[in-house]
Amino acid sequence: MNVKAASSAAALALLLAGGCRRDEVTHYRVPKEKEEAPAGLTSAAVTSAPPGMAGDVPPPPPPSGAARLTWTLPSGWTQSLTGGMRYATLKTPVTGKLDVSVVVLPGPAGGELANVNRWRNQIGLPPLDEAAMAKARRTVSTKAGPLAVYDFTSDGQQKSRVVAGLAEAGGSTWFLKMTGDEQPVSAARAQFLRLLESLRLDDAS
Amino acid sequence: MTTQASLKSVARTLLDVLTSLKLTIVCLAALMVLVVACTLAQVSLGTYGAVNQYIRSFLVWAEVPGTGWSVAVFPGGALVGLVLAANLIVAQGRRLELSWRKAGLWIVHAGLILLFAGEFATSAFQVESRLAIEQGQTLNFVERQRGLELAVVDVTDPAHDDVYGVPEALLARGGDVAVPGTPLTLRVKGWYQNAELVNRGPADPPTPATAGVGVGVAVREMPPVTSDDDMNRSAAYVEPVAGGRSYGTWLVSNVLGAPQAFIHEGRTYRLQLRQQRQYLPYAITLKKFSHDVYPGTDIPKNFSSLVHLSNPRRGEERDVLIYMNQPLRYDGKAFYQASFGKGDTLSILQVVDNPGWLIPYIACVLVAAGLVVHFGIALRRSMRRRGAAAQGA
Repeated sequence: MNVKAASSAAALALLLAGGCRRDEVTHYRVPKEKEEAPAGLTSAAVTSAPPGMAGDVPPPPPPSGAARLTWTLPSGWTQSLTGGMRYATLKTPVTGKLDVSVVVLPGPAGGELANVNRWRNQIGLPPLDEAAMAKARRTVSTKAGPLAVYDFTSDGQQKSRVVAGLAEAGGSTWFLKMTGDEQPVSAARAQFLRLLESLRLDDAS
Repeated sequence: MTTQASLKSVARTLLDVLTSLKLTIVCLAALMVLVVACTLAQVSLGTYGAVNQYIRSFLVWAEVPGTGWSVAVFPGGALVGLVLAANLIVAQGRRLELSWRKAGLWIVHAGLILLFAGEFATSAFQVESRLAIEQGQTLNFVERQRGLELAVVDVTDPAHDDVYGVPEALLARGGDVAVPGTPLTLRVKGWYQNAELVNRGPADPPTPATAGVGVGVAVREMPPVTSDDDMNRSAAYVEPVAGGRSYGTWLVSNVLGAPQAFIHEGRTYRLQLRQQRQYLPYAITLKKFSHDVYPGTDIPKNFSSLVHLSNPRRGEERDVLIYMNQPLRYDGKAFYQASFGKGDTLSILQVVDNPGWLIPYIACVLVAAGLVVHFGIALRRSMRRRGAAAQGA
């Protein structure tokens, strides 16, 4: 009986000790680290914001009026216009890991080179300089003006690919980006390019 | 019957129940039910949620529809395990004869009890985190996969940062949270376990935020995610107060990349909601991640990370190859190759901190050894009997 009591008490104590781990404020003194964007970022709106002090980081205003872009969806594609930091999410009929997003930011949004290199970084490619970026750029004419289009595929066995268009319209920069595993991106690429070519300013607003 | 006698009688009845084989079978049946229920629940709760609800709990609770009340509907795995362990221990002490003939069974039972103890130790003390590291990058911290913290980082010192981590549970509780070691108190004015952050429109209600990016952002509460692959987008409104002065109300969220900061008496404090970090007294650099496939196919053959371990305190500088089923065990942690990304330039290591990791191995060795001993004894006895029978014939 004593053995039982002792064992049960020990097991219970063990369990309670674990359950009672208190939530306390931790403190670490660590060597200065480079400022890095945290994991789990979901859009250019949040990743491109520069580090700054109070009030230095203005939130992106919602696009409105003549600044609003529209496009023609390819057959089988659907979209949800959230109107949030991610302006729209597009769904394709292609299966596999694939994400198509539309993000709009005020002004130059950090500049073309910074954004192109951010996309490259997302699939593990090294950054480009201005000259190399110009070589990688393809310009597509649209009713909303010229659109810079980039297409990058990662190295490695598990290839990722990003196809992205970047356009300035009405004081805002629009990012239309398709990213994911190489195969589904390749399968949806032609339709995505047709979507980019169909961009126009929304006359109704 | 005297009181003492009736007490003895009750104790004996309890002991009979506790040592009965029926109780063992009921417990084993309950465990089977829990395993099936837990497996099915993984669809809606995810693996982690289902294991917590069914296996690592004392009672399984269910909501009464329409009332908001929860009632216990079944014993949880922890309770069943505890009862089963007690049953095993007491029954062994009461029934099993202490002799060399039963040595094998004693060892087997000891192994089983140790197995239960190991699971309790694991559920109580195991901490799982991860290290997501890119080629060429050096990191000195691991991040909890579940659990956020509001990092208040004093970045004033040019060489060092003082990182104060306020765990998610304190934010969820609300009220004032003092940050020890600083003059700061954080007033938590709102906590959202999962929320959607959108640009504030004219129809949105007034925001509590008075500083930082939160002024232009509306927070819409969402139900918490249940899938293992999804992540909650948590958010909180916090007001740092120091020396009787408020520094405004800030919106913090793990999806806001923009670091936000304020200055109090010449010291700059940065606020960021992020995965809970544990800093290590050593650093790990990813030198090379390899993803090998069978020749001519896309079928994965092996994933491996060549890392450099640097521990100045121990004067240790060495390279280690981590690959499937070959973790790096170092300083109480095991680093397993778990995943990868970014076109094979990012390696994700699962980091498990489990002080009781050896217990299941020892328990299994004990059970196996006990069975061998018992088999050996039984074999010897059988051979003796055969020999005696042959002689008699």
